[in-house]
Amino acid sequence: MDPTIKDFESATAELDAIVRKLEAGDLPLEKSMELYERGLQLSRFCHAKIEEAERRIELLNERGELRAAPAALGLAGDDERSKTR
Amino acid sequence: MSDLFSQPFEDDEPVDARPRERRVVTVSQLTGSIRAVLESGFGDLWVEGEISNCKRWNTGHLYFTLKDGGSQIRAVMYRSAVRYLTFTPEDGQHVIARGRLAVYEPKGEYQLLCDHLQPHGLGALQLAFEQLKKKLQAEGLFAQERKRPLPVLPRKIGVVTSLDGAALRDIIKVLRRRHPNAHIVIRPTRVQGDGAAVDIVRSLRAMGKVAGVDVIIVGRGGGSVEDLQSFNDEAVARAIVASPIPVVSAVGHEVDFTIADFVADLRAPTPSAAAELVVAAKDEFCRRIDSLKQRLDAGMRAGIQRRMNAVHTLRLALEARDVRRRLAAIRGRLTAGDGRLYAAARRNRDRADARFRVLVGRLENLSPLGVLARGYAVCWNADRTAIISRASAVTPGDRVRVTLNEGELHCDVRTTE
Repeated sequence: MDPTIKDFESATAELDAIVRKLEAGDLPLEKSMELYERGLQLSRFCHAKIEEAERRIELLNERGELRAAPAALGLAGDDERSKTR
Repeated sequence: MSDLFSQPFEDDEPVDARPRERRVVTVSQLTGSIRAVLESGFGDLWVEGEISNCKRWNTGHLYFTLKDGGSQIRAVMYRSAVRYLTFTPEDGQHVIARGRLAVYEPKGEYQLLCDHLQPHGLGALQLAFEQLKKKLQAEGLFAQERKRPLPVLPRKIGVVTSLDGAALRDIIKVLRRRHPNAHIVIRPTRVQGDGAAVDIVRSLRAMGKVAGVDVIIVGRGGGSVEDLQSFNDEAVARAIVASPIPVVSAVGHEVDFTIADFVADLRAPTPSAAAELVVAAKDEFCRRIDSLKQRLDAGMRAGIQRRMNAVHTLRLALEARDVRRRLAAIRGRLTAGDGRLYAAARRNRDRADARFRVLVGRLENLSPLGVLARGYAVCWNADRTAIISRASAVTPGDRVRVTLNEGELHCDVRTTE
């Protein structure tokens, strides 16, 4: 991802600030184009982040190891998943 | 009990046995004896009854009467013991009091010196709950300022609960629906019965060490008060407090409150609700991003529109002053001018023509040719460069030409006059 974006909290804050500036509307065209570009970049970053998590269910065992959960466990979830597919 | 009462009197037989000796005792001596008998003879007592005439004095001591259908006994609880009460005694409460008998000699009264009170009907569990609650609250562990916000976008969601409980099923179901990509880490944990509290503590600690887990749901489905007890355990409460990761408690049903609920960073009424709460921030975040994106677009569009309007206005203004327009205007005027000029010229020419024709007409009247037609002739010198109008202009022998109306005569001058 874009190295200039730290995390979604800061991305959101920056996006918020950009929107405010654009809405104020007293910027030169060059500058507002630049801000708009950056805003698009930030919102894309945020959307990507939202879906970034990995669909997975794991069990943490006694030894502190992660193991894939038995299929039966995710049953409810899997049903839903197959429905939405 | 009657044995106890009769015993000392039988031993000493101060009144009945040897009345003739008239052994007289003072009130104080008697009271002292009574006191000795009562205070040593009964030991620790548990007395069940209803509270009445309950009064807390300024000194902090609590005075009340315990009674039942047939009898009553005065009771006192000193401040040092009152301090540890987990509830406020009130008239009409049915309680079990623990204490011993004491005689207040100045008044010759006996009373129950109470060191502990517990509401009758409420179990020890409830008492323990109240006590722990007070203790942890006093430590500030319930304070809102201590509570951490949940992550906006949980990377991994830790779940500490039983593998075969309804709670886990509910949590997974909700997470799958609300956040299909959720990464769930489950730590199978005993949540009721012996050893459950210890297991919950271990699970919380283990979950705290899993990289990426940034929120933990700990809980179980509904059950009896006893079933939920492990979540009223002090060690569990302290493990929740010590968790490096925000903890959402989800114990039982909506009406169930456990100590875990009080110390958790967020209390969910049910396991399903816990799952909802964990992803609620994500939804909120999505809405926020979408709204910002819309405003971003709108802001940009408005900016562009504003500029287009400005350009349009400028163009209108510019066109009003356009050089080409002015040239065209000039050209137009010029064309119009040309026309006028032409017309004028033409008028002039026409006038000239007319005058010319008049002149020509007049000229024609004057023309020698016209005169010739009437019979006159014109006499020229030989090379037709001069008209000879005087005889002296020629000498005999000269050649002259004579123009007639039709034709010319070449003549030799014979004489002049």
